[in-house]
Amino acid sequence: MSLKLREAVVRRGAFRLAADFEAPTTGVTVVFGPSGAGKSMLLSTIAGLHRLETGRVEFNDVVLEDAGAKTRVGPHARGIGLVFQDARLFPHQTVRGNIAYAERRRPAARNAPIVVEIARRLEIEELLDRPVRNLSGGERSRVALARAIVSAPELLLLDEPFAALDGRRRRAFLTLLLDLSREQSLPMMIVTHQVEEVAELADHVIAMQAGRVVGHGAAADVMARADFAALLDRRDLGARVDAAAVAGGQGGGVWIRADNVLLAAEEPRGISARNVWRGQVSSILREPDGAALVSLATNAGYISSRITPEALADLQLEEGATAWAVVKSHAL
Amino acid sequence: MVRAMLTAEEIQILATSLGVAGRAVLFSLPIAIAFAWALSRPKFPGKWIVDAVAHLPLVLPPVLVGYFLLLLFGVRGPLGSWLRETFGVQLAFTAEGAALATAVMAFPLMVRAIRLSFEATDRGLFEAAAVLRAGPWDRFWSMALPLAWPGVLAGAVTAFAAGLGEFGAVITFASNVEGQTQTLPLAIYSALQVPDGEETALRLAAISMTAAVTGLVLAELLQHWARRRLEA
Repeated sequence: MSLKLREAVVRRGAFRLAADFEAPTTGVTVVFGPSGAGKSMLLSTIAGLHRLETGRVEFNDVVLEDAGAKTRVGPHARGIGLVFQDARLFPHQTVRGNIAYAERRRPAARNAPIVVEIARRLEIEELLDRPVRNLSGGERSRVALARAIVSAPELLLLDEPFAALDGRRRRAFLTLLLDLSREQSLPMMIVTHQVEEVAELADHVIAMQAGRVVGHGAAADVMARADFAALLDRRDLGARVDAAAVAGGQGGGVWIRADNVLLAAEEPRGISARNVWRGQVSSILREPDGAALVSLATNAGYISSRITPEALADLQLEEGATAWAVVKSHAL
Repeated sequence: MVRAMLTAEEIQILATSLGVAGRAVLFSLPIAIAFAWALSRPKFPGKWIVDAVAHLPLVLPPVLVGYFLLLLFGVRGPLGSWLRETFGVQLAFTAEGAALATAVMAFPLMVRAIRLSFEATDRGLFEAAAVLRAGPWDRFWSMALPLAWPGVLAGAVTAFAAGLGEFGAVITFASNVEGQTQTLPLAIYSALQVPDGEETALRLAAISMTAAVTGLVLAELLQHWARRRLEA
Protein backbone atom coordinates (compact mmCIF):
# COMPACT_ATOMS: atom_id res chain seq x y z
CA MET A 1 0.00 0.00 0.00
CA SER A 2 1.87 3.03 -1.20
CA LEU A 3 1.90 6.15 -3.25
CA LYS A 4 4.73 6.39 -5.75
CA LEU A 5 5.86 9.34 -7.77
CA ARG A 6 8.57 8.42 -10.22
CA GLU A 7 10.55 11.22 -11.82
CA ALA A 8 7.37 13.23 -11.91
CA VAL A 9 7.72 16.74 -13.29
CA VAL A 10 4.94 19.32 -13.45
CA ARG A 11 5.31 22.84 -14.76
CA ARG A 12 3.03 25.76 -14.02
CA GLY A 13 4.22 29.00 -15.51
CA ALA A 14 7.77 29.50 -14.28
CA PHE A 15 7.39 27.03 -11.41
CA ARG A 16 8.69 23.51 -11.81
CA LEU A 17 7.86 20.70 -9.41
CA ALA A 18 10.01 17.58 -9.46
CA ALA A 19 9.17 14.66 -7.21
CA ASP A 20 10.49 11.17 -6.88
CA PHE A 21 9.47 9.30 -3.73
CA GLU A 22 7.42 6.50 -2.30
CA ALA A 23 5.20 7.07 0.73
CA PRO A 24 3.14 4.46 2.57
CA THR A 25 -0.60 5.00 2.27
CA THR A 26 -1.26 4.25 5.91
CA GLY A 27 -1.45 6.66 8.79
CA VAL A 28 -0.54 10.28 8.35
CA THR A 29 2.08 11.67 6.02
CA VAL A 30 2.99 15.30 6.47
CA VAL A 31 4.31 17.40 3.60
CA PHE A 32 6.55 20.06 5.10
CA GLY A 33 8.56 22.91 3.69
CA PRO A 34 8.86 26.69 3.49
CA SER A 35 6.22 28.59 1.56
CA GLY A 36 6.76 28.40 -2.18
CA ALA A 37 8.27 24.92 -1.87
CA GLY A 38 5.51 23.41 -4.02
CA LYS A 39 3.59 21.57 -1.29
CA SER A 40 0.12 22.51 -2.56
CA MET A 41 1.14 21.73 -6.10
CA LEU A 42 2.36 18.31 -5.01
CA LEU A 43 -1.08 17.57 -3.56
CA SER A 44 -2.97 18.75 -6.62
CA THR A 45 -0.64 16.73 -8.83
CA ILE A 46 -1.40 13.59 -6.82
CA ALA A 47 -5.12 14.39 -7.02
CA GLY A 48 -4.83 14.67 -10.81
CA LEU A 49 -5.45 18.39 -11.21
CA HIS A 50 -2.17 19.03 -13.04
CA ARG A 51 -0.91 17.10 -16.01
CA LEU A 52 2.52 15.48 -15.66
CA GLU A 53 5.13 16.65 -18.10
CA THR A 54 7.17 13.53 -17.51
CA GLY A 55 7.11 10.67 -15.04
CA ARG A 56 4.54 8.53 -13.35
CA VAL A 57 2.13 8.41 -10.41
CA GLU A 58 1.11 5.09 -8.89
CA PHE A 59 -1.33 4.55 -6.07
CA ASN A 60 -1.63 1.15 -4.39
CA ASP A 61 -0.07 -0.46 -7.48
CA VAL A 62 -2.47 1.19 -9.92
CA VAL A 63 -0.91 3.55 -12.46
CA LEU A 64 -2.85 6.80 -12.20
CA GLU A 65 -0.78 8.70 -14.66
CA ASP A 66 2.12 7.92 -16.95
CA ALA A 67 3.31 10.77 -19.14
CA GLY A 68 5.37 8.38 -21.28
CA ALA A 69 2.53 5.94 -21.96
CA LYS A 70 0.01 8.80 -22.14
CA THR A 71 -2.26 7.12 -19.62
CA ARG A 72 -4.12 9.31 -17.21
CA VAL A 73 -6.90 8.65 -14.74
CA GLY A 74 -9.02 11.80 -14.26
CA PRO A 75 -9.24 13.42 -10.82
CA HIS A 76 -12.82 12.18 -10.40
CA ALA A 77 -11.81 8.56 -10.85
CA ARG A 78 -8.74 8.42 -8.59
CA GLY A 79 -10.50 7.90 -5.29
CA ILE A 80 -8.24 10.57 -3.83
CA GLY A 81 -9.88 13.39 -1.89
CA LEU A 82 -8.43 16.87 -1.52
CA VAL A 83 -9.31 19.56 1.00
CA PHE A 84 -8.20 22.88 -0.46
CA GLN A 85 -6.70 25.59 1.67
CA ASP A 86 -9.49 27.95 0.58
CA ALA A 87 -12.21 25.34 1.27
CA ARG A 88 -13.92 25.88 -2.10
CA LEU A 89 -17.45 25.33 -0.87
CA PHE A 90 -20.13 25.38 -3.53
CA PRO A 91 -21.79 28.80 -3.19
CA HIS A 92 -25.11 27.75 -4.70
CA GLN A 93 -25.73 25.12 -2.05
CA THR A 94 -26.22 25.01 1.71
CA VAL A 95 -23.75 23.32 4.04
CA ARG A 96 -25.89 20.20 3.86
CA GLY A 97 -26.04 20.47 0.07
CA ASN A 98 -22.25 20.61 -0.07
CA ILE A 99 -21.91 17.48 2.01
CA ALA A 100 -24.70 15.70 0.13
CA TYR A 101 -22.86 16.42 -3.12
CA ALA A 102 -20.06 14.19 -1.89
CA GLU A 103 -22.42 11.61 -0.45
CA ARG A 104 -24.34 11.14 -3.71
CA ARG A 105 -21.17 10.43 -5.65
CA ARG A 106 -19.64 8.01 -3.20
CA PRO A 107 -19.40 4.46 -4.51
CA ALA A 108 -21.85 2.17 -2.74
CA ALA A 109 -19.17 -0.32 -1.80
CA ARG A 110 -17.19 2.17 0.28
CA ASN A 111 -17.51 1.90 4.01
CA ALA A 112 -19.67 4.96 4.50
CA PRO A 113 -19.12 7.57 7.19
CA ILE A 114 -22.41 8.88 8.57
CA VAL A 115 -23.08 12.52 7.74
CA VAL A 116 -24.66 13.56 11.05
CA GLU A 117 -21.90 11.83 12.99
CA ILE A 118 -19.16 13.61 11.06
CA ALA A 119 -21.04 16.91 11.36
CA ARG A 120 -21.35 16.47 15.11
CA ARG A 121 -17.67 15.68 15.58
CA LEU A 122 -16.63 18.67 13.49
CA GLU A 123 -19.12 20.91 15.33
CA ILE A 124 -20.98 22.00 12.23
CA GLU A 125 -24.34 20.38 13.03
CA GLU A 126 -25.92 23.76 13.72
CA LEU A 127 -24.75 25.06 10.37
CA LEU A 128 -26.19 22.34 8.16
CA ASP A 129 -29.07 24.38 6.78
CA ARG A 130 -27.15 27.62 6.41
CA PRO A 131 -25.97 28.97 3.05
CA VAL A 132 -22.20 28.78 2.88
CA ARG A 133 -21.63 32.48 2.22
CA ASN A 134 -22.18 33.46 5.86
CA LEU A 135 -19.70 31.02 7.36
CA SER A 136 -16.51 32.10 9.08
CA GLY A 137 -13.13 30.91 7.83
CA GLY A 138 -12.88 28.23 10.51
CA GLU A 139 -16.39 26.99 9.78
CA ARG A 140 -15.67 26.81 6.08
CA SER A 141 -12.60 24.67 6.58
CA ARG A 142 -14.54 22.27 8.79
CA VAL A 143 -17.35 21.97 6.26
CA ALA A 144 -14.78 21.29 3.55
CA LEU A 145 -13.26 18.57 5.71
CA ALA A 146 -16.67 17.01 6.45
CA ARG A 147 -17.47 17.02 2.75
CA ALA A 148 -14.19 15.29 1.91
CA ILE A 149 -14.56 12.64 4.63
CA VAL A 150 -18.14 11.86 3.61
CA SER A 151 -16.86 11.26 0.09
CA ALA A 152 -14.93 8.28 1.57
CA PRO A 153 -11.76 8.57 -0.51
CA GLU A 154 -9.00 6.00 -0.29
CA LEU A 155 -6.50 8.72 0.49
CA LEU A 156 -7.29 12.20 1.76
CA LEU A 157 -5.00 15.11 0.93
CA LEU A 158 -5.30 18.19 3.13
CA ASP A 159 -3.74 21.54 2.30
CA GLU A 160 -3.11 23.41 5.56
CA PRO A 161 -6.38 22.42 7.18
CA PHE A 162 -7.62 24.72 9.93
CA ALA A 163 -5.20 27.48 8.99
CA ALA A 164 -8.13 29.79 9.74
CA LEU A 165 -8.48 28.58 13.33
CA ASP A 166 -6.69 29.97 16.34
CA GLY A 167 -4.09 27.92 18.21
CA ARG A 168 -6.14 26.04 20.77
CA ARG A 169 -9.09 25.19 18.49
CA ARG A 170 -6.69 24.28 15.75
CA ARG A 171 -4.95 21.76 17.99
CA ALA A 172 -8.26 20.25 19.05
CA PHE A 173 -9.31 19.75 15.45
CA LEU A 174 -5.95 18.35 14.45
CA THR A 175 -6.29 15.77 17.21
CA LEU A 176 -9.78 15.02 15.89
CA LEU A 177 -8.30 14.65 12.42
CA LEU A 178 -5.92 11.99 13.73
CA ASP A 179 -8.81 10.18 15.39
CA LEU A 180 -10.87 10.26 12.20
CA SER A 181 -7.96 8.97 10.18
CA ARG A 182 -7.64 6.02 12.51
CA GLU A 183 -11.36 5.27 12.86
CA GLN A 184 -12.16 5.50 9.17
CA SER A 185 -8.88 3.76 8.23
CA LEU A 186 -8.40 6.80 6.05
CA PRO A 187 -4.79 7.55 5.23
CA MET A 188 -4.05 11.25 5.07
CA MET A 189 -1.41 13.46 3.55
CA ILE A 190 -1.32 16.86 5.22
CA VAL A 191 0.49 20.02 4.17
CA THR A 192 1.69 22.27 6.94
CA HIS A 193 4.48 24.72 7.53
CA GLN A 194 4.28 24.48 11.31
CA VAL A 195 7.01 22.26 12.58
CA GLU A 196 5.11 21.39 15.81
CA GLU A 197 2.32 19.94 13.70
CA VAL A 198 4.75 17.82 11.75
CA ALA A 199 6.05 16.28 14.97
CA GLU A 200 2.58 15.79 16.38
CA LEU A 201 0.79 14.39 13.33
CA ALA A 202 3.30 12.67 11.13
CA ASP A 203 4.06 9.00 10.89
CA HIS A 204 5.87 9.82 7.70
CA VAL A 205 7.35 13.08 6.43
CA ILE A 206 7.93 14.44 2.95
CA ALA A 207 10.23 17.45 3.13
CA MET A 208 10.16 19.92 0.25
CA GLN A 209 12.13 22.92 -0.84
CA ALA A 210 12.10 24.99 -4.02
CA GLY A 211 9.95 22.58 -6.00
CA ARG A 212 11.82 19.44 -4.98
CA VAL A 213 11.28 16.64 -2.51
CA VAL A 214 14.44 16.83 -0.44
CA GLY A 215 13.71 14.07 2.04
CA HIS A 216 11.12 11.48 2.92
CA GLY A 217 10.80 8.67 5.41
CA ALA A 218 9.64 7.93 8.96
CA ALA A 219 9.01 11.14 10.90
CA ALA A 220 11.58 10.42 13.62
CA ASP A 221 14.29 9.81 11.01
CA VAL A 222 13.57 12.68 8.63
CA MET A 223 13.16 15.21 11.41
CA ALA A 224 16.48 14.30 12.98
CA ARG A 225 18.41 15.02 9.79
CA ALA A 226 20.48 18.11 9.16
CA ASP A 227 18.75 18.74 5.81
CA PHE A 228 15.44 18.95 7.66
CA ALA A 229 16.87 21.53 10.05
CA ALA A 230 17.98 23.46 6.97
CA LEU A 231 14.31 24.00 6.07
CA LEU A 232 13.51 25.64 9.39
CA ASP A 233 13.47 29.23 10.48
CA ARG A 234 16.06 29.95 13.12
CA ARG A 235 13.41 30.27 15.84
CA ASP A 236 11.87 26.93 14.84
CA LEU A 237 15.08 24.97 15.34
CA GLY A 238 14.76 22.19 17.86
CA ALA A 239 14.28 18.47 18.07
CA ARG A 240 11.53 15.88 17.80
CA VAL A 241 10.95 13.74 20.85
CA ASP A 242 8.52 10.83 21.03
CA ALA A 243 5.34 11.97 22.77
CA ALA A 244 5.56 9.00 25.12
CA ALA A 245 8.81 10.37 26.55
CA VAL A 246 7.31 13.76 27.39
CA ALA A 247 4.96 14.62 30.23
CA GLY A 248 1.93 16.24 28.60
CA GLY A 249 3.00 15.12 25.11
CA GLN A 250 0.30 14.50 22.51
CA GLY A 251 0.14 12.68 19.18
CA GLY A 252 3.13 10.77 17.87
CA GLY A 253 5.81 13.24 18.75
CA VAL A 254 6.58 16.61 20.21
CA TRP A 255 8.74 19.31 18.71
CA ILE A 256 10.84 20.98 21.38
CA ARG A 257 12.17 24.33 20.19
CA ALA A 258 15.72 25.08 21.19
CA ASP A 259 14.55 28.45 22.47
CA ASN A 260 12.29 26.74 25.03
CA VAL A 261 14.98 24.57 26.57
CA LEU A 262 17.07 25.62 29.58
CA LEU A 263 20.39 23.98 30.30
CA ALA A 264 21.82 23.21 33.72
CA ALA A 265 25.30 21.94 34.50
CA GLU A 266 24.03 20.31 37.70
CA GLU A 267 20.87 18.35 38.35
CA PRO A 268 18.14 20.92 38.98
CA ARG A 269 16.16 20.55 42.24
CA GLY A 270 13.01 22.15 43.56
CA ILE A 271 11.68 23.29 40.21
CA SER A 272 8.19 23.02 38.76
CA ALA A 273 9.17 21.79 35.31
CA ARG A 274 8.05 18.20 34.75
CA ASN A 275 10.36 17.53 31.84
CA VAL A 276 13.96 17.29 32.87
CA TRP A 277 16.37 15.08 30.99
CA ARG A 278 19.97 14.23 31.71
CA GLY A 279 22.28 13.83 28.75
CA GLN A 280 25.68 14.29 27.21
CA VAL A 281 26.55 17.27 25.07
CA SER A 282 26.90 15.90 21.55
CA SER A 283 27.57 19.12 19.68
CA ILE A 284 27.86 22.86 20.19
CA LEU A 285 27.11 25.06 17.17
CA ARG A 286 27.98 28.74 17.35
CA GLU A 287 25.50 30.92 15.50
CA PRO A 288 26.54 34.13 13.71
CA ASP A 289 25.34 36.35 16.58
CA GLY A 290 27.35 34.38 19.14
CA ALA A 291 24.45 32.30 20.53
CA ALA A 292 25.14 28.61 20.83
CA LEU A 293 22.97 25.70 19.80
CA VAL A 294 23.81 22.91 22.22
CA SER A 295 22.65 19.41 21.36
CA LEU A 296 22.19 16.90 24.16
CA ALA A 297 21.93 13.13 23.71
CA THR A 298 19.34 12.01 26.29
CA ASN A 299 17.34 8.84 26.79
CA ALA A 300 14.41 10.63 25.10
CA GLY A 301 16.57 11.32 22.03
CA TYR A 302 18.44 14.42 21.00
CA ILE A 303 17.29 17.69 22.54
CA SER A 304 18.77 21.02 21.59
CA SER A 305 18.92 24.26 23.45
CA ARG A 306 19.84 27.75 22.35
CA ILE A 307 21.83 29.66 24.97
CA THR A 308 23.59 33.00 25.07
CA PRO A 309 27.38 33.20 24.78
CA GLU A 310 27.51 34.29 28.46
CA ALA A 311 25.52 31.24 29.56
CA LEU A 312 27.79 28.99 27.54
CA ALA A 313 30.82 30.47 29.32
CA ASP A 314 29.17 30.19 32.77
CA LEU A 315 28.15 26.58 32.29
CA GLN A 316 31.58 25.65 30.93
CA LEU A 317 30.02 23.12 28.58
CA GLU A 318 32.01 21.16 26.08
CA GLU A 319 31.37 18.08 23.99
CA GLY A 320 30.92 14.97 26.12
CA ALA A 321 30.03 16.93 29.27
CA THR A 322 26.95 15.96 31.27
CA ALA A 323 24.10 18.47 31.42
CA TRP A 324 20.38 18.68 32.16
CA ALA A 325 17.75 19.94 29.74
CA VAL A 326 14.67 21.57 31.31
CA VAL A 327 11.45 22.21 29.39
CA LYS A 328 8.34 23.96 30.69
CA SER A 329 5.23 21.90 29.93
CA HIS A 330 3.65 25.08 28.63
CA ALA A 331 6.17 25.07 25.78
CA LEU A 332 5.02 21.67 24.48
CA MET B 1 -56.80 45.11 -18.65
CA VAL B 2 -54.75 44.46 -21.76
CA ARG B 3 -57.97 43.80 -23.67
CA ALA B 4 -59.38 47.13 -22.60
CA MET B 5 -56.33 49.01 -23.79
CA LEU B 6 -55.50 47.24 -27.03
CA THR B 7 -57.48 46.47 -30.15
CA ALA B 8 -57.96 42.88 -31.30
CA GLU B 9 -55.53 43.54 -34.10
CA GLU B 10 -52.87 44.86 -31.73
CA ILE B 11 -53.28 41.88 -29.45
CA GLN B 12 -52.79 39.63 -32.48
CA ILE B 13 -49.57 41.46 -33.40
CA LEU B 14 -48.28 41.35 -29.86
CA ALA B 15 -49.07 37.64 -29.63
CA THR B 16 -47.24 36.97 -32.90
CA SER B 17 -44.22 38.90 -31.61
CA LEU B 18 -44.16 37.15 -28.25
CA GLY B 19 -44.60 33.77 -29.93
CA VAL B 20 -41.83 34.38 -32.43
CA ALA B 21 -39.38 35.74 -29.87
CA GLY B 22 -40.30 33.04 -27.33
CA ARG B 23 -39.75 30.19 -29.76
CA ALA B 24 -36.56 31.78 -31.02
CA VAL B 25 -35.08 31.86 -27.51
CA LEU B 26 -36.35 28.42 -26.57
CA PHE B 27 -34.80 26.68 -29.53
CA SER B 28 -31.53 28.53 -29.69
CA LEU B 29 -30.85 28.53 -25.95
CA PRO B 30 -29.35 25.00 -25.75
CA ILE B 31 -27.13 25.74 -28.76
CA ALA B 32 -26.12 29.09 -27.29
CA ILE B 33 -25.20 27.36 -24.01
CA ALA B 34 -23.06 24.85 -25.89
CA PHE B 35 -21.29 27.61 -27.84
CA ALA B 36 -20.81 29.73 -24.72
CA TRP B 37 -19.37 26.79 -22.83
CA ALA B 38 -16.96 25.96 -25.63
CA LEU B 39 -15.87 29.60 -25.86
CA SER B 40 -15.35 29.88 -22.11
CA ARG B 41 -12.89 27.00 -22.17
CA PRO B 42 -9.15 27.57 -22.47
CA LYS B 43 -7.78 27.57 -25.99
CA PHE B 44 -8.65 24.68 -28.26
CA PRO B 45 -8.00 24.20 -31.98
CA GLY B 46 -10.63 25.93 -34.08
CA LYS B 47 -11.81 28.14 -31.23
CA TRP B 48 -11.59 31.24 -33.44
CA ILE B 49 -13.93 29.61 -35.96
CA VAL B 50 -16.53 28.91 -33.25
CA ASP B 51 -16.09 32.47 -32.02
CA ALA B 52 -16.54 33.91 -35.52
CA VAL B 53 -19.62 31.80 -36.27
CA ALA B 54 -21.23 32.85 -33.00
CA HIS B 55 -20.65 36.53 -33.67
CA LEU B 56 -21.37 36.63 -37.40
CA PRO B 57 -25.03 37.72 -37.10
CA LEU B 58 -23.87 40.69 -35.06
CA VAL B 59 -21.82 42.14 -37.90
CA LEU B 60 -23.76 40.98 -40.98
CA PRO B 61 -26.60 43.19 -42.25
CA PRO B 62 -29.83 41.55 -41.03
CA VAL B 63 -31.19 41.53 -44.57
CA LEU B 64 -28.20 39.41 -45.56
CA VAL B 65 -28.88 36.93 -42.76
CA GLY B 66 -32.49 36.68 -43.97
CA TYR B 67 -31.27 36.17 -47.51
CA PHE B 68 -28.84 33.42 -46.47
CA LEU B 69 -31.66 31.72 -44.61
CA LEU B 70 -33.79 31.98 -47.70
CA LEU B 71 -31.04 30.38 -49.78
CA LEU B 72 -30.66 27.54 -47.26
CA PHE B 73 -34.20 27.04 -46.03
CA GLY B 74 -36.18 28.44 -48.92
CA VAL B 75 -38.59 26.12 -50.74
CA ARG B 76 -35.85 25.23 -53.20
CA GLY B 77 -32.90 25.56 -50.79
CA PRO B 78 -30.98 22.39 -49.87
CA LEU B 79 -32.20 22.28 -46.25
CA GLY B 80 -35.63 23.70 -47.06
CA SER B 81 -36.46 21.04 -49.63
CA TRP B 82 -35.13 18.30 -47.36
CA LEU B 83 -37.27 19.53 -44.47
CA ARG B 84 -40.34 19.66 -46.66
CA GLU B 85 -39.85 16.20 -48.14
CA THR B 86 -38.90 14.53 -44.85
CA PHE B 87 -41.10 16.28 -42.31
CA GLY B 88 -43.52 18.28 -44.45
CA VAL B 89 -42.26 21.44 -42.75
CA GLN B 90 -41.88 24.77 -44.46
CA LEU B 91 -39.98 27.55 -42.74
CA ALA B 92 -39.81 30.35 -45.31
CA PHE B 93 -42.76 32.77 -45.03
CA THR B 94 -44.11 31.15 -41.83
CA ALA B 95 -44.13 32.08 -38.16
CA GLU B 96 -41.61 29.26 -37.53
CA GLY B 97 -39.39 30.88 -40.12
CA ALA B 98 -39.73 34.22 -38.35
CA ALA B 99 -38.67 32.46 -35.14
CA LEU B 100 -35.64 30.94 -36.90
CA ALA B 101 -34.55 34.31 -38.31
CA THR B 102 -35.02 35.93 -34.89
CA ALA B 103 -33.07 33.10 -33.23
CA VAL B 104 -30.12 33.56 -35.56
CA MET B 105 -30.07 37.31 -34.95
CA ALA B 106 -30.39 37.02 -31.17
CA PHE B 107 -27.85 34.19 -30.94
CA PRO B 108 -24.71 36.33 -30.39
CA LEU B 109 -26.43 38.25 -27.59
CA MET B 110 -27.23 35.06 -25.78
CA VAL B 111 -23.80 33.51 -26.30
CA ARG B 112 -22.16 36.66 -24.99
CA ALA B 113 -24.17 36.84 -21.76
CA ILE B 114 -23.90 33.13 -21.05
CA ARG B 115 -20.21 33.01 -21.87
CA LEU B 116 -19.50 35.86 -19.48
CA SER B 117 -21.22 34.06 -16.69
CA PHE B 118 -19.37 30.81 -17.43
CA GLU B 119 -16.11 32.74 -17.43
CA ALA B 120 -16.96 34.45 -14.16
CA THR B 121 -17.30 31.08 -12.42
CA ASP B 122 -14.42 30.15 -10.15
CA ARG B 123 -12.66 27.23 -11.85
CA GLY B 124 -11.46 26.10 -8.44
CA LEU B 125 -15.00 24.93 -7.75
CA PHE B 126 -14.81 22.54 -10.69
CA GLU B 127 -11.60 21.12 -9.23
CA ALA B 128 -13.31 20.74 -5.87
CA ALA B 129 -16.16 18.88 -7.57
CA ALA B 130 -13.70 16.70 -9.48
CA VAL B 131 -11.98 15.47 -6.33
CA LEU B 132 -15.43 14.58 -4.97
CA ARG B 133 -15.78 12.15 -7.89
CA ALA B 134 -17.72 14.34 -10.30
CA GLY B 135 -16.71 13.57 -13.92
CA PRO B 136 -16.59 16.25 -16.64
CA TRP B 137 -20.24 15.84 -17.72
CA ASP B 138 -21.38 15.70 -14.11
CA ARG B 139 -19.41 18.87 -13.34
CA PHE B 140 -21.11 20.67 -16.22
CA TRP B 141 -24.60 19.81 -14.99
CA SER B 142 -23.99 20.06 -11.26
CA MET B 143 -21.58 23.02 -11.15
CA ALA B 144 -21.08 25.00 -14.35
CA LEU B 145 -24.72 25.28 -15.36
CA PRO B 146 -26.30 25.99 -11.95
CA LEU B 147 -23.61 28.56 -11.16
CA ALA B 148 -24.10 30.25 -14.54
CA TRP B 149 -27.86 29.85 -14.45
CA PRO B 150 -28.74 33.47 -13.60
CA GLY B 151 -26.51 34.59 -16.48
CA VAL B 152 -28.22 32.11 -18.77
CA LEU B 153 -31.61 33.49 -17.77
CA ALA B 154 -30.44 37.06 -18.21
CA GLY B 155 -29.05 36.19 -21.65
CA ALA B 156 -32.35 34.58 -22.62
CA VAL B 157 -34.37 37.57 -21.45
CA THR B 158 -32.12 40.04 -23.28
CA ALA B 159 -32.34 37.93 -26.41
CA PHE B 160 -36.11 37.75 -26.04
CA ALA B 161 -36.41 41.52 -25.70
CA ALA B 162 -34.15 42.07 -28.69
CA GLY B 163 -36.04 39.37 -30.59
CA LEU B 164 -39.28 41.29 -30.24
CA GLY B 165 -37.75 44.00 -32.39
CA GLU B 166 -36.01 41.96 -35.08
CA PHE B 167 -36.87 43.39 -38.49
CA GLY B 168 -34.55 42.87 -41.44
CA ALA B 169 -33.94 39.16 -41.21
CA VAL B 170 -37.59 38.42 -40.44
CA ILE B 171 -39.07 40.44 -43.30
CA THR B 172 -36.60 38.96 -45.76
CA PHE B 173 -37.01 35.34 -44.74
CA ALA B 174 -40.56 35.18 -43.36
CA SER B 175 -42.10 38.14 -45.14
CA ASN B 176 -44.76 40.42 -43.65
CA VAL B 177 -47.93 38.33 -43.49
CA GLU B 178 -50.67 39.78 -41.31
CA GLY B 179 -51.70 37.45 -38.52
CA GLN B 180 -48.79 35.07 -39.22
CA THR B 181 -45.39 36.66 -39.46
CA GLN B 182 -46.29 40.26 -38.78
CA THR B 183 -44.44 41.09 -35.59
CA LEU B 184 -44.44 44.52 -33.90
CA PRO B 185 -41.70 46.16 -35.97
CA LEU B 186 -43.19 44.79 -39.19
CA ALA B 187 -46.61 46.12 -38.21
CA ILE B 188 -45.11 49.52 -37.44
CA TYR B 189 -43.42 49.49 -40.81
CA SER B 190 -46.71 48.58 -42.54
CA ALA B 191 -48.59 51.27 -40.65
CA LEU B 192 -46.11 53.88 -41.80
CA GLN B 193 -46.65 52.84 -45.42
CA VAL B 194 -50.35 53.77 -45.39
CA PRO B 195 -51.71 57.32 -45.22
CA ASP B 196 -53.00 58.26 -41.73
CA GLY B 197 -51.23 55.26 -40.26
CA GLU B 198 -49.27 57.43 -37.85
CA GLU B 199 -51.54 56.90 -34.87
CA THR B 200 -51.47 53.13 -35.33
CA ALA B 201 -47.72 53.26 -35.61
CA LEU B 202 -47.41 55.33 -32.43
CA ARG B 203 -49.59 52.94 -30.46
CA LEU B 204 -47.58 49.97 -31.70
CA ALA B 205 -44.37 51.79 -30.88
CA ALA B 206 -45.57 52.30 -27.31
CA ILE B 207 -46.34 48.58 -26.97
CA SER B 208 -42.97 47.71 -28.42
CA MET B 209 -41.15 50.06 -26.05
CA THR B 210 -43.01 48.70 -23.03
CA ALA B 211 -42.15 45.13 -23.93
CA ALA B 212 -38.48 45.90 -24.54
CA VAL B 213 -38.02 47.94 -21.36
CA THR B 214 -39.77 45.26 -19.29
CA GLY B 215 -37.34 42.73 -20.72
CA LEU B 216 -34.31 44.86 -19.91
CA VAL B 217 -35.41 45.54 -16.35
CA LEU B 218 -36.05 41.83 -15.86
CA ALA B 219 -32.59 40.96 -17.17
CA GLU B 220 -31.00 43.53 -14.86
CA LEU B 221 -32.89 42.17 -11.85
CA LEU B 222 -31.76 38.64 -12.69
CA GLN B 223 -28.13 39.71 -12.93
CA HIS B 224 -28.41 41.46 -9.60
CA TRP B 225 -29.97 38.43 -7.97
CA ALA B 226 -27.26 36.23 -9.46
CA ARG B 227 -24.45 38.35 -8.08
CA ARG B 228 -25.98 38.35 -4.63
CA ARG B 229 -26.55 34.64 -4.65
CA LEU B 230 -23.02 33.77 -5.65
CA GLU B 231 -21.16 36.17 -3.41
CA ALA B 232 -19.46 33.72 -1.16
